[in-house]
Amino acid sequence: MTAESVVHAEHLSKWYGQVIGLNDVTLSVPPGITGLLGPNGAGKSTFMKILTGQLKPSQGTITVLGEPIWGNPALYARIGFCPEQDAFYERMTGLEWVTALVRLNGFDDAEAGRLAGRALELVELTGAADKKIGAYSKGMRQRVKMAQALVHDPELIVLDEPLSGMDPIVRRKTIRMIRDWGRQGKSILVSSHILYEIESMTANILLINQGRILAEGDVHQIRDLIDEHPHTVYIKAEQTRSLAREFLAYDDVLSLKFEEGAVVVETGRPDLFYARLTALAASGELGVIHEVTSPDDNLQAVFEYLVKA
Amino acid sequence: MTAQEMAAQARSRPGLLTSAARVFDLSLGQMLWSRRSVFLALVVGGPIVLAVALRLAEASGLNFAPNRSGPTGAMIYGMMIWLLYVRFLVPVLGVFYGTSLIADEVDDKTITYLFTRPIPRSAVIIGKYFAYLVCTVLLLLPSVVIVFFLVVPLGRGATVAQMFPTLLTDLGMLALGLGAYGAVFAFVGARLKRPLVVGLIFALGWEPAVLIAPGYLKRATVAYYLQTLVRHEMPQNSPGAALLQIFNEVPPLSTSLIGLAVIVGLGLWLAGRTVENREYVLEQ
Repeated sequence: MTAESVVHAEHLSKWYGQVIGLNDVTLSVPPGITGLLGPNGAGKSTFMKILTGQLKPSQGTITVLGEPIWGNPALYARIGFCPEQDAFYERMTGLEWVTALVRLNGFDDAEAGRLAGRALELVELTGAADKKIGAYSKGMRQRVKMAQALVHDPELIVLDEPLSGMDPIVRRKTIRMIRDWGRQGKSILVSSHILYEIESMTANILLINQGRILAEGDVHQIRDLIDEHPHTVYIKAEQTRSLAREFLAYDDVLSLKFEEGAVVVETGRPDLFYARLTALAASGELGVIHEVTSPDDNLQAVFEYLVKA
Repeated sequence: MTAQEMAAQARSRPGLLTSAARVFDLSLGQMLWSRRSVFLALVVGGPIVLAVALRLAEASGLNFAPNRSGPTGAMIYGMMIWLLYVRFLVPVLGVFYGTSLIADEVDDKTITYLFTRPIPRSAVIIGKYFAYLVCTVLLLLPSVVIVFFLVVPLGRGATVAQMFPTLLTDLGMLALGLGAYGAVFAFVGARLKRPLVVGLIFALGWEPAVLIAPGYLKRATVAYYLQTLVRHEMPQNSPGAALLQIFNEVPPLSTSLIGLAVIVGLGLWLAGRTVENREYVLEQ
């Protein structure tokens, strides 16, 4: 373990009955932003649940900010966790929910209210603070989850698929926000199954598949490999036909098809496509883009290729 | 005090009781306005419907206790307390709410937000238990009061004023019953994967069965201790009296109170220990 690492795991394994979630993982996460990249079922969420003290390792050890995490709730004051699941107390407003959660960190009512207001402002939800969470859009729900993770000003922020379901503009803002937190000295571990998302936040990547860490560090080779595979993007929007017409003019678009209220695009240049899409969403010329997601088959194909190789 | 000192003070880790109180605040509103509460409010409304039907029957000419041989209003009220509230509604409320204290958070996947805060995990179950208690008391006790005022005036038995102290005893007894059943089922809910089924078997199968059987097994029920606290004059030579014979074997009052206190304390302690040590794996 390096003196600086914020998370250190030694021969960490986790299994659920006969199913292996993590398999003999040894790693150190340095301060700053680190991306945890892997397809669904790779073990990302299991790792994040262990390092946030929700699950106990079956074997091996893990320390977070220098202390063991399981059964050590005092350490949670220094950690913020934004889980993957879209789960809330739907009848509460965003402000009520974040305030109620930060009160559990020991803040009094007045301070809790003030901090919750500030956190909602950071994620640009001030205008919707008094709306019920049940009435929030997918992107707003993601952001209010992030607000509860950062409201108590933690040293380590753990974000499990934070960009999932966000529209391009909010996605861009969120990426910028995460980068800002990193610049402010926060340590951030962020998971995704989309390399382009992770890359836009950090060059420091942990590659995980089938419960094992395949590579650590700045992984250009993986990037090259992924570039060789077409990337699928699912776009839920107001005017899918106009968008499709626009996309057909792009050289990098290999194919597209329509689904209910959405258009699914296959591109050979994902970074270029995402940049154009964000600009298009920002201009508002072709109506509102509600949600952008990417199925993880792209990355899965690359991992299959890697494992075979 | 400097701003830094204030911040440090605000960030001091809350203790068990403070944490439990804050979980209580967070949970009460959710519990009160849940679909479960709406459903159980309808169930708890059953005795009120019955009481209204009895009043309508009287208004349409049915004479209660015309010659002192039939059941008076006070007797009917007593039977309703025994058979509907003590035997059925209190255990059912305990099962449905108690087993769900942790299970609902796990099923809804909101447990993550509570378990990643710097509070003892046992504070979560304790806070939610007290929210349960307030919620069920608010559901059940108004129903008892309404039934009391509708049923007791029937016939020529004891008056409302004479029976009023009994009402207060009943309210206290039922609240205590909710507390005891809630603690037992909070533990069941924290420990088992299908707590509702086990809870229903315990409350509606095991308890009634062992209560009418001779031996010591009845001491492993909540109802055994609770029934001592039910104080009603029961009708003689009536089907109701025969039914109530099964509850005749009751421990002394002090034993009952100690027994119920032990059940609450032990149930909550076990539930707290379970939540502290158990992993809750959320389905993906």
